[in-house]
Amino acid sequence: MTCVDVRVRADPSRGVKGLVSRQTETWKVDVIRQLKHRDKSQHDVFHDLVRHSLRCRGRERRVTAASRSPLLIAATLVNESISTGPLRNVSAASQERRAAAATLSLRSVILQEHSRMLDKSSISADFLRTARVPAGPDVSSENDLKTMTGELACQVVALQQEVIIKEKVLEQQHRKLSAVQQSFSRTRGDQQDLQGRVSQVQEANAGLKREYDALLECHRAAEQRFRQEKQRGCELLEDMIHHKQQAAARMNSHNERRSRARQVKLQKDLQVAQETPVTMTTTPQPVFSATSPPKDFPERTHSRLFRSASATSPRILTSIKELFERKRRGNSVCSVDQEVFRPARICVSAQLPVRARHSLDAHEQSINAVRFSSSSDLLATGGTDRVIKLWDLQAGTRYHGDTVVIMGSGKLNHRGTLDGSTGGITSIEFDPAGLKVLAASYNNSALLWSIDDSVPKVTLTGHSRKVTAARFRFCPQQVVTGSADRTLKLWDLQRAACVSTVQVFSYCSDLVCSENAVISGHFDGQIRLWDTRTASCTLELPAQGKVTSLDLCSDLRQLLSCCRDDCLQLLDLRGSNRRSLRAEGFKCGSDSTKAVFSPDGGYATAGSADGSLYIWSVTNGKLQTCLSGEHSSSITAVSWSLSGNYVVSVDKSRRAVLWSDI
Amino acid sequence: MADDKDVLRDVWFGRIPTCFALYQDEVTEKEAEPFYLLLPRVSYLTLVTDKVKKHFLKAVKPEDVEEMWFEYEGTPLKWHYPIGVLFDLHASNTALPWSITVHFKNFPERDLLHCLSNSVIEAHFMSCIKEADALKHKSQVINDMQKKDHKQLWMGLQNDKFDQFWAMNRKLMEYPTEEGGFRYIPFRIYQTMSDRPFIQKLFRPVSPEGHTHTLGDLLKEMYPAAIAHDGDSRKFQVLIQGIEPLLETPLQWLSEHLSHPDNFLHVCVLPVPTD
Repeated sequence: MTCVDVRVRADPSRGVKGLVSRQTETWKVDVIRQLKHRDKSQHDVFHDLVRHSLRCRGRERRVTAASRSPLLIAATLVNESISTGPLRNVSAASQERRAAAATLSLRSVILQEHSRMLDKSSISADFLRTARVPAGPDVSSENDLKTMTGELACQVVALQQEVIIKEKVLEQQHRKLSAVQQSFSRTRGDQQDLQGRVSQVQEANAGLKREYDALLECHRAAEQRFRQEKQRGCELLEDMIHHKQQAAARMNSHNERRSRARQVKLQKDLQVAQETPVTMTTTPQPVFSATSPPKDFPERTHSRLFRSASATSPRILTSIKELFERKRRGNSVCSVDQEVFRPARICVSAQLPVRARHSLDAHEQSINAVRFSSSSDLLATGGTDRVIKLWDLQAGTRYHGDTVVIMGSGKLNHRGTLDGSTGGITSIEFDPAGLKVLAASYNNSALLWSIDDSVPKVTLTGHSRKVTAARFRFCPQQVVTGSADRTLKLWDLQRAACVSTVQVFSYCSDLVCSENAVISGHFDGQIRLWDTRTASCTLELPAQGKVTSLDLCSDLRQLLSCCRDDCLQLLDLRGSNRRSLRAEGFKCGSDSTKAVFSPDGGYATAGSADGSLYIWSVTNGKLQTCLSGEHSSSITAVSWSLSGNYVVSVDKSRRAVLWSDI
Repeated sequence: MADDKDVLRDVWFGRIPTCFALYQDEVTEKEAEPFYLLLPRVSYLTLVTDKVKKHFLKAVKPEDVEEMWFEYEGTPLKWHYPIGVLFDLHASNTALPWSITVHFKNFPERDLLHCLSNSVIEAHFMSCIKEADALKHKSQVINDMQKKDHKQLWMGLQNDKFDQFWAMNRKLMEYPTEEGGFRYIPFRIYQTMSDRPFIQKLFRPVSPEGHTHTLGDLLKEMYPAAIAHDGDSRKFQVLIQGIEPLLETPLQWLSEHLSHPDNFLHVCVLPVPTD
């Protein structure tokens, strides 16, 4: 507290004052000073006195009121001393113990206060008078208190004994407590021991775990090494195999070289042998030996003569050559001999089939094409299941009265399967010799098999969509294919390559070959004739709808086309006659339903969508028969055997039915 | 202003040492001893003298007891004046403690009001406050207060709680700053030698020209004889709350700080004692 001026210091109770407002607040200063003075004179001096007076008043009141019973006095005094004293005792024993002390202390307090009052009351005489008055009643009650003291002393003794008993009980409690504490500390100790053991065990565990981890690591490393070793082993094995292969190749080449050398040597020998004159043993010629040089000349001429004269030697040569040729690698497509021999078979008359002889589920899925071979009794069927099955007609015996007639068929016998096609089969053709099968497939390719080999010999690829028909041409080694990609391709079988491609403007569904022409049927309803020499369309014949199949009769004069609008058309190629064959209930079942001529050209047959076989007569165009009851779904293709006795029809539900006239 | 707060506290906690003695003519069973008490200046006699009554009732016979009343040197003390005012008026220059005589009989009907319970005191107290606020604020502040606030004022006085009382009373001591003070200052000037009980008139704290009025201005206006003219000796003492403030003390400040709890500035004018 900073004092600003003298005036401020005079009244220390005041706080800091501003210098500026000092002048204006003189009156305030004065007021404050006066208030303080007033309080000091009027209040402070008398404050303590009045308080003590009040207290004495109160005590006097209590003393006078309690003069009736001594105990009550003691109690009240004690209560009062308790309230004035600093401590508070709860138990009754200690309360009563202090009763005696309280009475004594009370007296001393009162006397003290009297003295204090006397000190302070130098101002007022009245107050002295009044101060003395309260002392009076106290002195008179002192005697009473003395008598009470004695009585209380006895009580105190009794109570003290009680206290001793209680203290003994307390001691017992203490002992029990200490015992409990000991046991507690013991258990504490046990607990700590156990904790120690626990921690030990945990440490041991941790150690074991670490060992385990280390072992795991080792194991992993060992495993890795093992793997690496195995890999090395494999690599080594591969190397070894490679080396062995190389060795084998070397061996092979070595052998080859040796064999070639041997061949060359043999050829040389043969040539030498050819050129050396064959000495006729009958004529001994010692004379000639002298004139050897001139002998050489006749020898030579001899050999020449011999050479030209021998007709068999080329044959021998070629057969020997053949021996070697067979050893050569590479497919020989066909041997020259077979090409030359082509038996031509002609059917004299076809029999109208009457009933079904055999009906079986020939394939896994629907059958798209069927063809009798032209030189043997083989039948080929092919369909969506990508295989061609070969059948022959089993020779069966029938009794006709008492004569045994050996017939050529009772059942279809499965002879073999040609697989290797990657798409469904759309059309099948046998080659004229009957030893090869050409098939067109969905997989944009045409395949050629040899009958005795189930693996295709040649695959002709090049079309961009499914090949719908593949036919052998009259020229040797040539194949024509028609495809949905609106092209016809000519192929050379020896090279297995496409010779030429003809754009045909429309989806070609079928084609047939005649000597110089290729006839193709198209979805745009046109039949086109192509001249192979000029590779251009020479003739366009409109059909009545989408052409689904074509067939050429054996005398190459009539063309049968089957259209989607349920009619068959007979076209005369030499003239321009046209005839339609219709029938009630005949419906063309699909875009590739095949209709065929009978081998003698007298009948035309086709299968209907409802599973019935319709046969028309070519000469008068009338429906001859309708055979039904065997097929449950639409017939896709029919074929007439070359003997004329049997017709096979196949349908979409895998069924093949053999019909015959007996 | 810490000083102002100190002033308020000093005013509130002012005490007068009193010695109550029973009137000798009152018949007693046994001798009644005088009772000493420190009376608060700001309170009222009947409010703080319960202990006195109890003390003396012990001595007096119960059938003789009527309403207790006090007198000093023959003058019945009006209980509805604050104790400080009574002391300043009657016994300010006498020796302390103030000796009051307690009577139980012969209640002076003409001089004193009956006070049979504390509610009478409360009613009187509240009416003084309302009258003061009517002068100060046209009763706006007191009317804005709720009943509980009025109760708080009374309880603060009754239980001698400075903070409780002044929490409410400060609202009554506020004034709009443009005014410069209250509308009128509530004051009462008491004099010993007069028939009138007190002087109470309308008086503004600020003059129309803007000067703040002082105590001297008030006295000049209301009781010019109290002020000593130049040359003359002082004839009268002007006591407020037991002190004599300088005449240049601003009246507004006096009203705010030296008023009694009933918001009135009680001024006592006494002749200067000759001895």
